[in-house]
Amino acid sequence: MTIQISKLSKSYKNQQVLTELDWSIKQGDVIGLLGKNGAGKSTLINAILNINPADSGSVALLGEDNKVLTSETKARIGYVPQQNDEISWLTVKELILFKKQFYAHWNDKKVAQLLSRWQIDTNKKMSELSVGQGQRVLIILALAHEPDLMIFDEPAAALDPAGRRDFLKEIVNLAADENKTIIFSTHITTDLERVANKVAILHQGKICHFDDLDNVKENVVKVSVITDRASDIKIPHAINAHQDNHQVNGVVTQVDFLWKKELESQGHQVDITPMSLEDIFLELTV
Amino acid sequence: MIQFNIEASSGIPIYRQVFEQVERMIVNGYLVEGTFLPSVRQVANTIDVNPMTISKAYGLLEERGYLTRLRGKGMMVAHQSEEKSKKEKMMILDKMIAELVSDAVQMGINKQELLTLIADKAEQLNLTDNINSQG
Repeated sequence: MTIQISKLSKSYKNQQVLTELDWSIKQGDVIGLLGKNGAGKSTLINAILNINPADSGSVALLGEDNKVLTSETKARIGYVPQQNDEISWLTVKELILFKKQFYAHWNDKKVAQLLSRWQIDTNKKMSELSVGQGQRVLIILALAHEPDLMIFDEPAAALDPAGRRDFLKEIVNLAADENKTIIFSTHITTDLERVANKVAILHQGKICHFDDLDNVKENVVKVSVITDRASDIKIPHAINAHQDNHQVNGVVTQVDFLWKKELESQGHQVDITPMSLEDIFLELTV
Repeated sequence: MIQFNIEASSGIPIYRQVFEQVERMIVNGYLVEGTFLPSVRQVANTIDVNPMTISKAYGLLEERGYLTRLRGKGMMVAHQSEEKSKKEKMMILDKMIAELVSDAVQMGINKQELLTLIADKAEQLNLTDNINSQG
């Protein structure tokens, strides 16, 4: 396991944000961490990296306790925070040279490539960059030492559409190397649909759903039964269901095909409609 | 280069969309036996999706006998028996017709109107009763 989280809890004053959260992440997964605003995505990421420690529970990163990481392990992790709190009075060039000193491995070519692709003026001070440009510099810094585990907190939030696309493309390229593990948090489902192979939904302090994106789309679907005895029909695995005169509708987490066949053999019509990830996300976090 | 038309936000998983598009291209003869498909990385880069998604689609196409994996060379369109092709064609049409009928129901078109529309279209395109004679 690249990340093993067990019974992680965290609260601020009276507000419980993470509640005995368990989560295991395998090497090579590209995970979109979905949660509404305020669900605790940043709190979870900060607790995983021990930037803002949890109240209780444990996190193992690349096989080590996150409270006592060796410098070798630290060098295998890349992180992009939501907010740019890098030293603002350094120029981009100076900041890159400063950061480079901390790592045994640093890909200068990749840094140069990304700087030119994203048209970043390296003579500008960090404080002079736009929010989007600043975010791009942080992304470059996180990729430069070619870490095995990368964690991005709302990476695309400050980027314009072209920048988002570019950033996602970079993630795709990283994902092509199957040993890299990538987690990025977002509340925008379209950001993760092309690149994530897994989706984790953070809701009410726990990871309430964690599965392959394909499985989620194939399993979580709308089921409607057209029937003359709506009140007798109970849709299996439904997370919510409502009925009117001649129809029962529900969203299920899994289709029971035997049940479907049986109803159809009794002359009822059973329709299954796929749902977009956005709709699925909304249904699962009601 | 094959053109894929991917709708990332659709409820249908992307690997399914890739699978179905290649399946159609093979069944309708656009991709002939022996044609090499672009590599997983190429496709992933062109349509900006996770390479694992493309691997999954290719794997499924191989499993269903549409593609053959040639070591070091990539994926090649496999020989399709006529009998199997016919079956696949009917299955694909069946799916398309199901969508068409369901749309027609939503628009409030009745069965006779729909059948007439289809018959007219077939007439226009000179579809004969014997489908095989169309090649």
